[in-house]
Amino acid sequence: MENKLIYSSSPHIKAQRTTRRIMIDVCIALLPATIMGIIYFGLYALLLVALSVAFAVIGEYLYLLIAGKTFKEITDRFDFSSVVTGLLIGLTIGTNYPFYTPIFGSLFAVVAVKMLFGGTGKNVVNPAIAGRVFIFISFQWAVGAWLFPAIGSVFGQTAETSATAVVNVSQGIIPKLSVLDMLLGTGMQGCIGETCKLALLAGGIYLAIRRVINIMYPFIYIALAGITTVLIFGFDFALFLPSILSGGLILGAIFMATDYTTTPNTTLGNTVYFVFLGVLTAVLRYATNMETVSFAILLMNLTVPLIDKFILNKPFGYKKPQKAKEAK
Amino acid sequence: MKILEPKHFPFGSKIHGTKLSKNCPIEKAPAPARVYISVSQHIGAPAIPVVNVGDKVKKGTLIAEASGAISANVFSSVSGTVAEIRDIVNGLNQKQKYIIIDNDFKNEEEFLPPLGDFEPNTIIERIRLAGLVGLGGAGFPTAVKLTPKNPLDTLVINGAECEPYLTCDHRLMVERTDDIYKGIKYAARALNVKKIVVGIERNKPNAIEALSAFDDLEVVSLKRQYPMGSEKHLIYVTTGRKVPTGKMPFDVNCCVLNIKTVLAAYYAIEKDRPLTETVLTVSGRGIKEPKNLQVAIGTPFSELIAYCGGTSDDTVQIVAGGPMMGKALVNLDQYVRKTDSGILCLKAHETYAESPSNCINCGLCARKCPMRLMPMYIESFALSGDFKEAERYGAMNCIECGLCAYNCPAKRALVQSIVYAKTKIKEMKNGK
Repeated sequence: MENKLIYSSSPHIKAQRTTRRIMIDVCIALLPATIMGIIYFGLYALLLVALSVAFAVIGEYLYLLIAGKTFKEITDRFDFSSVVTGLLIGLTIGTNYPFYTPIFGSLFAVVAVKMLFGGTGKNVVNPAIAGRVFIFISFQWAVGAWLFPAIGSVFGQTAETSATAVVNVSQGIIPKLSVLDMLLGTGMQGCIGETCKLALLAGGIYLAIRRVINIMYPFIYIALAGITTVLIFGFDFALFLPSILSGGLILGAIFMATDYTTTPNTTLGNTVYFVFLGVLTAVLRYATNMETVSFAILLMNLTVPLIDKFILNKPFGYKKPQKAKEAK
Repeated sequence: MKILEPKHFPFGSKIHGTKLSKNCPIEKAPAPARVYISVSQHIGAPAIPVVNVGDKVKKGTLIAEASGAISANVFSSVSGTVAEIRDIVNGLNQKQKYIIIDNDFKNEEEFLPPLGDFEPNTIIERIRLAGLVGLGGAGFPTAVKLTPKNPLDTLVINGAECEPYLTCDHRLMVERTDDIYKGIKYAARALNVKKIVVGIERNKPNAIEALSAFDDLEVVSLKRQYPMGSEKHLIYVTTGRKVPTGKMPFDVNCCVLNIKTVLAAYYAIEKDRPLTETVLTVSGRGIKEPKNLQVAIGTPFSELIAYCGGTSDDTVQIVAGGPMMGKALVNLDQYVRKTDSGILCLKAHETYAESPSNCINCGLCARKCPMRLMPMYIESFALSGDFKEAERYGAMNCIECGLCAYNCPAKRALVQSIVYAKTKIKEMKNGK
């Protein structure tokens, strides 16, 4: 027995939480939104999501194979983060996108944004957001407006045809859709996974219960985005719920903005980050109405190193060195 | 009955792991045929052997004398003959001088001279003579702790025993309550303090009950929140005082003593017995029968493991001490020291030994760190060799409790890197 003793540094017991477990939790949390997206938009939605997930994983494998790892090594250390990336890209495109867009988007996100920077945990911006923005910039010519789900409005009036709810909100117009419809995503234009807010919120609650995310941060983000919108349009509180229930705000707040790698490391830093994010999203929505959540998160991702540089924890029992008052 | 609530401390965390032996009464382990007593079982200079090969010794005979202010006497734990004095590379991969004594099983005992009075100075001198060190694991000579630079007003007794598996302090508090109480009173007398606080974690209700029977002790029932047994945190939750960074407990007029230390003080003062025995827990899923044992210092670990029924075949790791801060053994050539509080035989599923992957910046280590450090930065500075920056981020404040590495989802060896940084920073300072 003696010669097989494992020598290791303390601690000798570890918590069961692993990176892989966290990523699988995120995938599970995204399932309701994926299922609702497929119910709303049909089998083509399933194809798009499947393609984006498949090519995100293929991208990671290809990169690591080229980098000289064996297939078994990659599988052993596979942490499911590329599945999350692929899933998020698939959920943030519409069913009017050509089938090749998620392929390019996923490959770009995983290879150029994540793996080239050193893999999981080393990326500067969130790969899924970068992939989404990449698709938006590169393939906008191929698509028109967002599509309506196959199920029409259940609770409200007839859906508008001219503009999406988020465009309405950004112009200070209260959408004609009822709040319940917006929550369920029925009768509302949007991309596959963003439409059913209820499913996204359920996923968020799952993540909070599993302690993967701190529910306070998405809450700060969503609430502040709503409040800022209300303030911009002169205390029009009727705008509050429509503004937070339209567009990609909830998906972005729960699943993209909370990405560990691209958020600050301290509680205070995170609060600062999400406050700025909320205000920035609302202001960007006012100024333009294209991909505001994605660009806001992308922009704030780049400020994270700065926040982490200046907002640090003070050690327990730390006292500010007393400056000599007699110097004067 | 004085059971107090602790002050709220928002950091640290619960850790899994059970106390397998919490209901096992303390047993006396059979005396070994040969004991291996190290001369450096404490922080500070190694003691100098005062016996020669072939000398007859009794249990309690001084065999190595303290060399300097921070050092401690070492006593023989059996009666017999000194067989060898030589350097041994022990199971922790440390080269130390050992005095090896063959037991003659006559059980002759030598006592310290009886005390004439119980004045503070007499007590402190007795504790110094008896070779008492901090038995919680640090091994700092107790007599030095009892002679602080500034007057103290509070004595904090550490009965937290926050490490999983370990139950020896728990059993002592339940079984030898009166002796511990007397030991506490002597320590308070030596320090000339009135206020005595005992911190015990909530998972030991019978220990809390036992010690709260004494009117002049304030028992604080601590939350199950590792690392409550750390001096600085224990002082904070029991008295509300924060030990400033880089300072010691006496800077906030407190002294922290472990349960086993005060018990040893009682034996030294009233029974005139030097420190020759200790109580430790043999536990872990790998051991057949987990037990709390009273053992002679210098007993080989292998004999204690054999006494507890041996290990199962799938034991992968043997740890001296607790699972969070203890040291893994490279082989079984390890012998009980004064400061040992446990021998753990862990199976693979208990240790979750996974290879480390990239840091994902989740910030969990910083959120859990009881010292409010940012282990991920210190680690990356340590790995890239920037020790100045590591120091600026507070590496020296690390108490090595292990919570960061315990919680890390990427399973990075954070403590190891921080300890490495600390060593390098110390070297840098000494070099100047």
